Amino acid sequence: MARTPMPRADLLAGTGFLALGLVAAVESWRMPRFEQLEVNPWSVPGLVPGLIGLVLVLLGGLLVIRALREGALAPGAGAARELGFDAETGRRTLLALLLTLGYAIGLVGRLPFRTATFLFVLAFVALFRIRREMPPGRMLRELALAALEALLVALAVGFVFERLFYVRLP
Amino acid sequence: MPGGLELFLEALWGFASPWTLANVLWATLLGIVVGMMPGLTATLGVALLTTLTFKMPAGDAILVLICMYVGAIYGGSRSAILLNIPGTPANAATTLDGFPLARAGQAGRAMGIATAGSFCGSLIGMLMLVLVAPVLADFALAFGSYEFFWLAMFGIVISGQLTAIDDPLKGWIAGFLGLLVAMVGQEGIHAYQRFSYGITELSGGFGLLPVLVGAFGFAEILQVMKQPAYEVVRNAGGRILPRLSELVRYWRTILRSGLIGTLMGLLPGVGEDIGAWGSYAAARRASRERETFGKGSVEGLLAAETGNNAAVPGAIIPVLTLAIPGSAPAAVLLAAMFIHGIRPGPLIMIEFPSFVYEVVAMVLLASLAILVLGLALTRPLLYVLAVPRERLMPVIFVLCTVGSFAIASRLFDVWVMVGFGILGFVLREMKFPMAPLVLGVVLGPILDKNFRRAMVLSDGSLEPFFTRPVSAVLAALTLLSVLAAIPSMRAGLLRLLARLRIGRAAVRDTPEPGS
Repeated sequence: MARTPMPRADLLAGTGFLALGLVAAVESWRMPRFEQLEVNPWSVPGLVPGLIGLVLVLLGGLLVIRALREGALAPGAGAARELGFDAETGRRTLLALLLTLGYAIGLVGRLPFRTATFLFVLAFVALFRIRREMPPGRMLRELALAALEALLVALAVGFVFERLFYVRLP
Repeated sequence: MPGGLELFLEALWGFASPWTLANVLWATLLGIVVGMMPGLTATLGVALLTTLTFKMPAGDAILVLICMYVGAIYGGSRSAILLNIPGTPANAATTLDGFPLARAGQAGRAMGIATAGSFCGSLIGMLMLVLVAPVLADFALAFGSYEFFWLAMFGIVISGQLTAIDDPLKGWIAGFLGLLVAMVGQEGIHAYQRFSYGITELSGGFGLLPVLVGAFGFAEILQVMKQPAYEVVRNAGGRILPRLSELVRYWRTILRSGLIGTLMGLLPGVGEDIGAWGSYAAARRASRERETFGKGSVEGLLAAETGNNAAVPGAIIPVLTLAIPGSAPAAVLLAAMFIHGIRPGPLIMIEFPSFVYEVVAMVLLASLAILVLGLALTRPLLYVLAVPRERLMPVIFVLCTVGSFAIASRLFDVWVMVGFGILGFVLREMKFPMAPLVLGVVLGPILDKNFRRAMVLSDGSLEPFFTRPVSAVLAALTLLSVLAAIPSMRAGLLRLLARLRIGRAAVRDTPEPGS
């Protein structure tokens, strides 16, 4: 199988891993060595994470070098295009991301679980299914179906987790 | 002590209750449904079900999880055949011949063949589990810190390499990133909290299940929503029950694929995807009908589906005997065993010998369930593929959220799931494989503790890492795997092998003096 080159994306990823490895190695070096407790120097907590950090620096560095060789800095290179993002896929991904983050970080824990779930499923299904070009009747039907699904999911998930498997809900 | 067969029969007898059989049926059916839906993988299915079943008795919970695992790997063949989209990554090779068969109006036949292949694969893997697990556990009793360190290192290297065959560098980065993630939280020797920065929730490290649910669930939701919609096929066309003559005709392919699948399952973090590809490639090389591969070959379809399902019991072998997962779903299974108080590892045949045979019986029940459900519910199961993704994905996200919260009842785990979901999505888009990352998270503590213990024992000398026999073999395998992934080194190794072969042939062909 041939590798699809994505030099700009690889450059970004490689730099990220290189930096992460470096931070991990430095932070590991700064970890206590318990000299006053006379512990064996080969058992100190920073040893393994430090080595893992160094390996990440090496591998990230290799990825950066490869990306540069493949033209990561060439004028036409762009990470979004290499990863197959266009206006439509970008819009869909962003909408899905905003809705899910809104639910998991914004609603859950602040509103009762069933209310939060109802609102999330309703918004997700309605926003993805209803199109501007639909006739108003079809729009209303989609909205009603989304509300019905949201209600069923909120009640069913609550029932299955709490009553059947005795698991606590957020 | 009773023998293996006795323990196996006892385990089977123990499962002969309506409650257990009901569990087998619903969990396998749920597994098939999860596997069928593009975007839902076996790993996610097993992870979500672990959060749901952690208050069940241990035996029932592990049975349910194994049924989900076997069911999902099999279920993925349906969407591979009908939509040309592998339901799980393990079914990617199935699309090559399954979809052309469906397009030629033989979708029913293809589904029957896939069912038979999956069943045979599971059975071969199960037999290997019975044969290999006790021997491996016995062998591993002699393993010390040096060997466990190399085992973990070999796992990361081979998993990184085989799950990203076209770009091993990214596979290794994913593996080492997983190891680094595992370093967060309290370490096992001096109880020091690494990379926690006073955050109480980080003192125990990242929970494996929220990480997995994020990387395999949330990341997949984002990927599915990014892609354009897929066409739904409803035509099951033709006879579904596979013909016995077809299976007998390809018995060699079934056996070979079963063995390759089991071996790929056995290798740490490699698993079902490579089990299928490896079996498919081997079947193609050995076949007399090579030219039909990729155009609707029954043999190719059988090889792929036998290979991936054989890898399931194969991946359970190292889980039970070494506490090292053979695949991503097996990593969740390992976590579930720990949650339920089962301690897998080399001592398992001494401490819980009956459990190993219970797992064998569970695999047998799950295999029978996919055979029965797969053949009996072919048409009703097609409705699963008709559910639009916009309706399905929010439900899956609700389950991911509740599942992450359920284990420890803390919202922090939901945030971990979200964080690793976004990270997983970005990494997947950049073609970094997820299996080595998961393996790294699982193997991190093993590698850390054993490396430091070994260094203390040898007083800083690296010599025993290379001179103890098993260590030396594992070190050589790790090094060879790394070298084989570097193109110039690979060419050099192949040249060396060719020269050795020529040399040996020359010695063989040289007439002996006096003859």
